[in-house]
Amino acid sequence: MSAPADVPTEPAILASKLTKRFGEITAVDALDLELVAGRIYGLLGPNGSGKTTLIRLLTGLAKPTSGEARVLGTVMPDREILGRMGYMTQAEGVYAELSVWENVRFFGALSGRSDRESLESALRVVDLSDRRNTPVLELSGGMRRRLSLACALVHKPDVIFLDEPTVGIDPQLRVQFWEYFRGLAADGATLLVSSHVMDEADRCDELLLMLHGKLLTRGSPAEIRQRVGVQDIEQAFLKLDPLPTPAPAFK
Amino acid sequence: MNLRRTAAIARRIGEFFRRDHRTLALMFVAPIVIMGLLGWVIRDQRPPASTIAIVNDAGPTGDVVRGRISSAATAAGFGYRDDITTDDAARQAVKDGGINVAVLLSVDGSTPRVVIVTPGLNPAEDSARIGDLRTVLSGAFAQSGPIIDQETIYNQGGSFFDAFAPALVGFVVFFLVFVLTGISFLRERVGGTLERLLATPVRRQEIVLGYSAGFAFFATLQVALVLVFVLGTIHIASLGPLPEINLGLGVASAGSPLLAFVITLLLALSAVNLAIFLSTFARTEFQIIQFIPLVVVPQVLLSGIFWPVASLPGILAPIARLMPMTWGIEGLREVLTKGAGLEATTVQLDILVLAGMAIVLAVAATLTIRREVV
Repeated sequence: MSAPADVPTEPAILASKLTKRFGEITAVDALDLELVAGRIYGLLGPNGSGKTTLIRLLTGLAKPTSGEARVLGTVMPDREILGRMGYMTQAEGVYAELSVWENVRFFGALSGRSDRESLESALRVVDLSDRRNTPVLELSGGMRRRLSLACALVHKPDVIFLDEPTVGIDPQLRVQFWEYFRGLAADGATLLVSSHVMDEADRCDELLLMLHGKLLTRGSPAEIRQRVGVQDIEQAFLKLDPLPTPAPAFK
Repeated sequence: MNLRRTAAIARRIGEFFRRDHRTLALMFVAPIVIMGLLGWVIRDQRPPASTIAIVNDAGPTGDVVRGRISSAATAAGFGYRDDITTDDAARQAVKDGGINVAVLLSVDGSTPRVVIVTPGLNPAEDSARIGDLRTVLSGAFAQSGPIIDQETIYNQGGSFFDAFAPALVGFVVFFLVFVLTGISFLRERVGGTLERLLATPVRRQEIVLGYSAGFAFFATLQVALVLVFVLGTIHIASLGPLPEINLGLGVASAGSPLLAFVITLLLALSAVNLAIFLSTFARTEFQIIQFIPLVVVPQVLLSGIFWPVASLPGILAPIARLMPMTWGIEGLREVLTKGAGLEATTVQLDILVLAGMAIVLAVAATLTIRREVV
């Protein structure tokens, strides 16, 4: 799959020598990255490889120790540009006492989009329209993830970070999600989806394989298989890991 | 009953304490702090320098008695004003704060009669002074003891509770708002919603102001209800088997309930912002509850509910002046018991300080919310 032709070529996300250290640990290590609009990028890596820290650096929730991250041409952290970004965290991050509708409206309002049509379309995507008045407390785990996704997308952001978006989502809805993601990319959005579900990797335009805070390799799923000479992306990590330590387990 | 399972649960608690050092420390530190504070305050507090005036309406014998009382009182550490010579002037002086106690001497038949007049603002303060004074009086009357009556300027005919009610209003509101806001904001921090909030264009000040406004709305309702319940009373007639009851405490209020409302609301706002600020230092709801013995209990002991702030020993008096509850309770007493209005400088000062504290705490709360969490 390739990007639509009418998409601007300047990078939506640009990282140069991006580094984040926590004491002794270097979570993101002098990472260079250039992602263009209109594509879905899969961010793959085992636990502790630095995926979430990278996303936090790109959303401005963490400050780089050195280097720079730019989103839509703006150096992060920057408050204003956050209105054009959507972030679905790994944690549920929704209010348990509030209803589905109230949650979406709240996050929509903070991002500057709380008109009825936007809220309704966000709920339609995650198939929660008929649950709008249900308090989150009464939703199943999967439904809460869906609501969390709706809250991240309600303001129709240009750059979307999804940290493990399909955990706990049943296969049918997962297919539906990916169709929706594909639609967003076709409209020019940039999606960075972290995942450890390998069959989802094949739905991305391009994969970023991350290990020990560094980018091991990037390319389309087929390219990576071919280049590394493996059938399975998981094996690519084992093969590409520069350190002699045993590769960390996937969760 | 399975001992092994019971033991497993007990062991789990032990492991929890071993992991949560703060809780463990609190179990040992908090009682020492609280008992130490209580011991210090109760042992070493001295009523602020008391000044008395003695008015004699009992003729020549009274003059002799007055001489004895005044010298005994001076020896006992009382200040003595000899320029006040009428009952009315003495009562007025107690009201203005020129003297703390007026002693009015008269003769009832052949029995000497003494009326002790105190302000009636703080029952504990009054009884401390009256206690000292009784010792002085018992030495001054040689044989037959006099009839001793007590009289207060404010809160006349009110019970002990009436005098305490303004302080209790301040305490109840501060305590509940503090705990609720603390838990609520902590849940934002640990539940991932704060992180999510910070990934939107929202400003930190907007979060703190929004919180203040949201809680202030419910605090307003709460304060209004508490004041109506404390000050008002409705008689409900006996209905069938139900006995007749009076709903509401019916505490006599000398001043404007609206002004009391403003003071209590400012106190509640301080509680909101203090709770947001402190929630940074807690990682679980459990740890927020732990702030109660550290933040709320010292305020209960030092804010003048039981002992007047001026009587606190050592550095405790200035420390008490740093606590929002001290100013809130002082203001509520001024308004509800004394009937002071907005023109009274004490009330103005209380409102200004409370507003200032609410603002300072709001800034502190804002600073603890960081977009770059790490």
